[in-house]
Amino acid sequence: MRPELKEYPLDQLFARTFQLARKAGRATPKEQALLLKSVPYVSGLLEPMLALGAPAITFLGMLADYYTDLIHAKEQGKKVVMTTFCFDPTIFYAFDNLVPVTLEVGTVITSILWKRGAYDFMDFCTEVGFSETGCSSQRGTMGAYLAGAGVNIDMVAVNMGGICDTNSNAYSFAAQYLGKPFYGLDYPAELTPDAVRDYHHQDYRALIRFLETHGGGRFDIDRLRSLLEEKQIQDELTNEIEELQRLVPNPVPGIYHLLMYAGRYTCSGSPTFTRMLREMLEVVRVNALSGAAGLGRPEKCRAFLFYIDNFSFNVGMFDWLARNQVSHMGSMLSRFFPDNAPYRREVPGTCYTIDTRGLDSMIDTLADINARMPMTRTVRGPYDAPNMWLEDSLSLAKIFNAECCIYNGTPGCRNTWSNVKLIMRDLEKHGYPTHLVYADAFDGRVESWETTAMRLDEFFKIRGLL
Amino acid sequence: MTALLSQAAQSIDLEPLRAFKAAGGRLVGYTCTFLPVEVFHAAGLVPVRLRGIGAESLNIADAYYGPFVCTFPKALLQQVGTHHYAFLDGAVITGGCDGMRRLNECWRKLGADIPGVLPPWFHYFDVPHKPEGVALSWYQDQVRKLIDAVQNAFGVRIDEEALGRAIRQQNRVRQKLWDLAELRCRRPAPISGSEAFEALIARNVLPPDRYLDELDRLLATVQNRAVPSSDRRRRLFVTGSICDDLALVQQIEAAGAVVVGESVCYGLRNTCALVDESGDPVAALSAHYLSGSVCPRMFGYYAERRATITERIRQTGAQGVVLQNIRFCDLHGSENGLLERDLEQLGVPTLRIEKEYGALTETGRLRMRIEAFLEQLEA
Repeated sequence: MRPELKEYPLDQLFARTFQLARKAGRATPKEQALLLKSVPYVSGLLEPMLALGAPAITFLGMLADYYTDLIHAKEQGKKVVMTTFCFDPTIFYAFDNLVPVTLEVGTVITSILWKRGAYDFMDFCTEVGFSETGCSSQRGTMGAYLAGAGVNIDMVAVNMGGICDTNSNAYSFAAQYLGKPFYGLDYPAELTPDAVRDYHHQDYRALIRFLETHGGGRFDIDRLRSLLEEKQIQDELTNEIEELQRLVPNPVPGIYHLLMYAGRYTCSGSPTFTRMLREMLEVVRVNALSGAAGLGRPEKCRAFLFYIDNFSFNVGMFDWLARNQVSHMGSMLSRFFPDNAPYRREVPGTCYTIDTRGLDSMIDTLADINARMPMTRTVRGPYDAPNMWLEDSLSLAKIFNAECCIYNGTPGCRNTWSNVKLIMRDLEKHGYPTHLVYADAFDGRVESWETTAMRLDEFFKIRGLL
Repeated sequence: MTALLSQAAQSIDLEPLRAFKAAGGRLVGYTCTFLPVEVFHAAGLVPVRLRGIGAESLNIADAYYGPFVCTFPKALLQQVGTHHYAFLDGAVITGGCDGMRRLNECWRKLGADIPGVLPPWFHYFDVPHKPEGVALSWYQDQVRKLIDAVQNAFGVRIDEEALGRAIRQQNRVRQKLWDLAELRCRRPAPISGSEAFEALIARNVLPPDRYLDELDRLLATVQNRAVPSSDRRRRLFVTGSICDDLALVQQIEAAGAVVVGESVCYGLRNTCALVDESGDPVAALSAHYLSGSVCPRMFGYYAERRATITERIRQTGAQGVVLQNIRFCDLHGSENGLLERDLEQLGVPTLRIEKEYGALTETGRLRMRIEAFLEQLEA
């Protein structure tokens, strides 16, 4: 790894970058133009963010606070928990002394912002023994923490047992390598049977005992209730945005998905995240009332990404879709399955309910939410089983009026690459032209963004979508 | 060496299985160490651990699996697609790893495309990724569901007595395998690693009575075998990804070493203790099969596996360790990285190799690396 990368702690860089980016929102257009000239790589994210206005500025500030809290955690006597994007962080905020750090969010930021992405950190993982075929989403920033170029973490808590080997394996490796305690929630292959629900609940309670034991902090019931109540508001705001997204043309800008899920992965239950969602909803309502597409130009096609988005070159994928007048109808990362979501009608009996009546019901709620996080819900059992990948993809594609489906992932995803050809065949049978992207969502060395874009272009043209 | 053990290690098509089937017996394929095979023995069925050996191409498998997937499940699916497993009356898929659990869907879809390759009974056995608490209760329920499913599918009855008999029989197998392992600890070892590995692989595919006979014969032969007073060959231990690749062990030994032990699927994994023969057999089987954390699929239990491997290295007197993994096997690929670090710290030299599944797929490259490793050990 290049020595200079160890000189500047990664979390400090993130905190400083987002603190400055937040300020850029208050700059004049002329100042912003000058700023963008002097930060050629960061401008790949900053420019489209500034163009989005208030919600994006709130988002930048939210990440600034997230990383600022992280870098000050130790001096405030707090403990840092390394966790994964599909783990709902609310439980950490319910403790008075835990601060989460979500590796995949860091990898996305690095991939989007830096010319060399997270390559050095990815490669460092390999240098110290981690499999080079492991998922790049974890390897990205995991390398920084293994190299000591991030905050010292105190424990690892994840939720991918039974869902994603490469994810669980990465965190397990990090815990062993750093000599830190590890807890992994585990999931059966089904979602809805009572026995499965009971499994989720019991396992989650064991997780809380783990956090209490290794964190040594106080689990605050009132704080948890307050977080869940805030979360309920966030779900309602998200649901309204989702409902409006069903309109033709879709009034939601595609990049909103990135902001919404990144917010949920890092700051769920925080008032700032609520503010961002309100600001988004205002924009979306205005677009909807005027019949404008969120693309900023007329909508020609609607694409549903039935796995994840691509972050390998700035926000290139979101930008490409917008420029080609294709509405981004969300991806697996975008959906969390609350019981009041517009898509609940298509997946009855499979969503979570927020119940704040008592401690037990709140813990059950958290377990139910965790069991329905992206991937955790959808790619656990056989892809063609009830409530799994095929049914979820078909129902979401249908309710959002998608006209085509796109798989984009990472070569490290053993789970989806083991059955993506099967689901593609089925999606085509159901009438959805389906495209398979061979790129790595986080590592532009696997396939350049230009090549990915060329193949997207080919797909949309050959299938008569554009 | 017995001819049958050797044949069983190198072929899917075996005379004892054909004879069993011709006599009205039924065969069930399975995929993972975490499956309690005693359930099938108690039902009078023969469980046959599925293998991909002999696959000469992956053209069928590649139509179902994507490109970034380990070649073991692909080779297995290829053998299914070319009717090499048409003799099966049933199959159980276990979520050993992501690639293997998706064999469930790939095989079913293959069965829809190629008539005759999907057995009449097809079952998914859900194994948790941790050995304790709610996971252990869940596993017990899965074993009970498996028993019900077998009874319904094959019209058999599996009672406690039958399970007890099967447990005792498999415990005899385990004890004899440990007798074999003990012989390999002798210096010089009276048995080659290749010969021992044949016996270990054969355990997974032969009817148990026949296997016990063959194992007895092998043990008697080896115990009475004259050995030279000294052996200058380096003693190596093999660990890592699933491995039924006899050619790998033969290649290591052809380079001038002797393989004195291994910790791989098809090897001695899950035989480190006997199943409790008293009490509820389902509880005993569950405790045995889930508690070992023998595979890195049990996340967070590396320290336990390292301790087991380190102890076996000490027992066998291994002077070096070959850490092998199949490409895209992230679980073992990463764990090998940790083992490399920790074993080297303990003064045990290691050779870390990544390969494709299957015999002799990369002979030249591997031979060169093994020879270089042995030269390092000599130095």
